[in-house]
Amino acid sequence: MSSSFLDRQNTVAGPGFNRFMVPPAALAVHLCIGQAYAFSTFNLPLTKLLGLTQSAPGDWNLKDVGWIFSIAIVFLGSSAALFGRWVERVGPRKSMFVAALCFAGGFLVSAVGIHLHQLWIIYLGYGVLGGCGLGIGYISPVSTLIKWFPDRPGMATGMAIMGFGGGALIAAPLSVILMKHFTTAASNGVMETFVTMGVIYFMFMMIGVVSVRVPAEGWRPAGWVPSEHPKKLVTAANVSVDVAWRTPQFWMLWGVLCMNVTAGIGVLGQASPMIQEMFSGKVTAAAAAGFVGLISLFNMIGRFFWASTSDYIGRRNTYMVFFLLGILLYSLVPTFGHMGSTPLFVAAFCVILSMYGGGFATIPAYLRDIFGTFQVGAIHGRLLTAWSVAGVLGPVLVNYIRQYQIDSGVPKAQAYSVTMYIMCGLLLIGFICNFAMREVNAKYYYRAGEGAVAGSKA
Amino acid sequence: MKARLFLLWIAVGIPLLWGTYKTLENALKLFQ
Repeated sequence: MSSSFLDRQNTVAGPGFNRFMVPPAALAVHLCIGQAYAFSTFNLPLTKLLGLTQSAPGDWNLKDVGWIFSIAIVFLGSSAALFGRWVERVGPRKSMFVAALCFAGGFLVSAVGIHLHQLWIIYLGYGVLGGCGLGIGYISPVSTLIKWFPDRPGMATGMAIMGFGGGALIAAPLSVILMKHFTTAASNGVMETFVTMGVIYFMFMMIGVVSVRVPAEGWRPAGWVPSEHPKKLVTAANVSVDVAWRTPQFWMLWGVLCMNVTAGIGVLGQASPMIQEMFSGKVTAAAAAGFVGLISLFNMIGRFFWASTSDYIGRRNTYMVFFLLGILLYSLVPTFGHMGSTPLFVAAFCVILSMYGGGFATIPAYLRDIFGTFQVGAIHGRLLTAWSVAGVLGPVLVNYIRQYQIDSGVPKAQAYSVTMYIMCGLLLIGFICNFAMREVNAKYYYRAGEGAVAGSKA
Repeated sequence: MKARLFLLWIAVGIPLLWGTYKTLENALKLFQ
């Protein structure tokens, strides 16, 4: 593959190109990197590499193995923030290709780590290298999709980011099937599974690399004319990435994303024990696994549903719904627990997790509304640091408060009540950030030919 | 172009539908 094939100028679509080719190209990348959400499938097998059926002396413990995913998420946010501007400059094809190399390479390096039984190699492989693939892959199609769908930016980015949720639904059963297939008397099949998944994901991501196109300068959908009277909080101007992150709007959106993700991610990680403890004796471990699957499905569906809805009701209103409905549902969860109503409990969390996914999927279009299309991918990359923070904050809040409650003598079934009310508080902070959102001051607007920003001198 | 578009959607659609089916199959245990 020559380097010129990957260059931005060689990805410009010719006349008659169907823009609906771009969402599946983006999905091909997101369906792969979404595997990260299903990494926990490997946690237990990684603790039995020597003992095979059970942990033996010298095997890694679950706590140390758990760091692989955490490192990957930290590097997802960091690389998205660090390489966002590079992704904007080189275009989606080259960045998707690099993401595929990093992500698939992460699996292969980790397989070497398993072979040598060196955990630090896996931290470096899946955690650092794979994490960079996650971050670059996550943001690479975003600004391209926004440019192809100026009339429906929410729907377009929602479709791609839905793939990140869907990736876990594919990876979880695929990992189990592969590990079972490769299990022998001498191996539990994890190393072989890593190699196979690395190869499969690389090839699948290449579908996106080959298919993606950027629109020609000045391209517009046939028959679409930008409104002369743009909606409130939708700018026709642009703000560069280096200026955007110095505006209050960026930090308010950072707060919006961080609070929305914190409230959802803690529950997502603790869903299985939570439903078993709140409905002790009524919900088995197998049923709890079904609950985890169901909320993951709503996490995926919510990404497309809410982001598409935001094209009609507006981004700010969509987040208003997330925060207000979220507060209502989180405050009702303890009551559903006391009532012993599993269907109401499950329904509440399905809606909550749909809004968690919706928060991720709607944010690129919200950024485009506030900062314009110029460097929206890079701005999105920097905003994803909110995800890294939430990825630590959410689980810590849920786990530590639960433990504190249990240590204070609260029955396990009621140990989550305080957590739910704290989640309501977090959502209230997010609501305030969203409520305070205003248009960016014109002094920050980017003007071509005046360097990075005209307004920074103002 | 239409055939390529169809193939592309099939390529991403089949794994996604398979993953959704397997998840729903697992989720049904919640109601059994």
